[in-house]
Amino acid sequence: MNNIIEVNNLSYSVRVKNSTGSSSEKLILDNISFTLQREMVLGIAGESGSGKTTLAKVLAQILRPTIGNYSLNISADWRNRKTNPVQILFQNTGEILNPLREINDFIDEAVKIRFGDEEYESKKKKILDSVNLPQNLWNRKGFELSGGEQQRAALARILSVQPEVLILDEPFSAQDPISQLNFLNLFKSINKEYKITMICISHNLKLLRSLCEEVIVMYKGKIVEKGEVKNIFENPQHPYTKFLLRAEDYSLSYEEIQNELELLKE
Amino acid sequence: MLAASIEKLIVNSGNSQTTLLNDVGFKLDKNQIYTIVGKNGTGKTTLIKSLTGLLDKRFYAISGKVIFEGKDLLSLDDQELKIIRRQKIKYVFQDAQNSFDQLKKLKYYFKNLNKPLSEVDETLAYFLLPKSLELYNLHAYEVSGGMAQRISLALALLAHPSLIILDEPTSGVDSAIANLFLLKLKEFVKDDSCSVLLVTQDLRFANLISDKIALITNGKLTKFLPPDEFFKSQENILSDNLINSYHQLTA
Repeated sequence: MNNIIEVNNLSYSVRVKNSTGSSSEKLILDNISFTLQREMVLGIAGESGSGKTTLAKVLAQILRPTIGNYSLNISADWRNRKTNPVQILFQNTGEILNPLREINDFIDEAVKIRFGDEEYESKKKKILDSVNLPQNLWNRKGFELSGGEQQRAALARILSVQPEVLILDEPFSAQDPISQLNFLNLFKSINKEYKITMICISHNLKLLRSLCEEVIVMYKGKIVEKGEVKNIFENPQHPYTKFLLRAEDYSLSYEEIQNELELLKE
Repeated sequence: MLAASIEKLIVNSGNSQTTLLNDVGFKLDKNQIYTIVGKNGTGKTTLIKSLTGLLDKRFYAISGKVIFEGKDLLSLDDQELKIIRRQKIKYVFQDAQNSFDQLKKLKYYFKNLNKPLSEVDETLAYFLLPKSLELYNLHAYEVSGGMAQRISLALALLAHPSLIILDEPTSGVDSAIANLFLLKLKEFVKDDSCSVLLVTQDLRFANLISDKIALITNGKLTKFLPPDEFFKSQENILSDNLINSYHQLTA
């Protein structure tokens, strides 16, 4: 079996308190099923609030599914490690890096957790080089780095523990086109170099097209479309996917948007 | 009509003595949408934060003038600035989720505006958000990042400010919502004789929404130009790179 991730009929719900004081179940993920092959790059597109980040958290076992099952087929040598084989590069990297801690310091920590004290300097160098974080920044503190630099540093820390699956949550959202292109190439090379299975959540369909082999489109907690990137974007079936593609140039009028929304209700 | 005038704005980082903004000056007219584009780490967010005293004075040294409605905002005390930020100049931050107090229900923010429920619900519906009845009971951590961004813009619009400042409005939302943002902001500057200042990396969005665009590089701001002129101007090699990458990405 070459599937690293298998998700079967998985749902996740939370209890919501109503204004009357009673509470009800709210489905965030609704009957999700998919499989992902090792070393593939999967894209997840979808409406904001459709459960993309929640799905990422379930896959990283930060959240437990309410029903359904999820299996992660990790390689044998992972079982004894202390770190999580699924790592998420979160959207707000500015909030993850300790602003007062040196880059050196927190990369060292992660490398040592994974590899112990031996030769960690050379391993650290290799990792920081692979994310293109120049050496003159290594002794800076978190707050002294720009958003993109912080993202590279956070990515380096994740790569230090050698995860099997890397989830990127909106990795391009805060970047200029130059960095987007750089990061796109960086993610592609990391996928090859570290043989990591990757899942990329993004609103940017153009970047997903370029990065991913397969894509899932989510709408209101459900997977409404999945398949090869090319097929989905060239021949979308679900009205939401069609809507996303039509709105991509931001040139729809309010009436057109309302029409699309009416179609989605049917 | 003039909405705000920024003169000789200089911001230094207190610790490392690096210059973040170097003699930035521009004027904002009413009924216009202004966009600042630029690479990461060139001072876009620093610039918009410095306008209403949102930069922590312990870490930043700020000089210059921000003239808004006859007053220099940089000379006001925190209390006066708070009132201005509550009523006149509203921000929509990129990390909207964390700009809310996580322990307060969203109701708190809407109730503070003292607006009729019908107007609130109309704005919420526009941005495809749940009705107030449902939304008011949620905390910021219970909504998604993109929803928080929409809620933040809805709150800004409901306050009827004269200036809305947005940081990367399209970063957390899908293209359909970004499309709605674009339409609503254009409507806002038309109806209320207000202006909008936004910073974004999304050149497509900038091109469509802006009346004027400027580029920031290493703390220096170029002149604001209409979109066609801005994208044609080849003066700046860095902007050239930016635009090239953009074309490469959209090809």
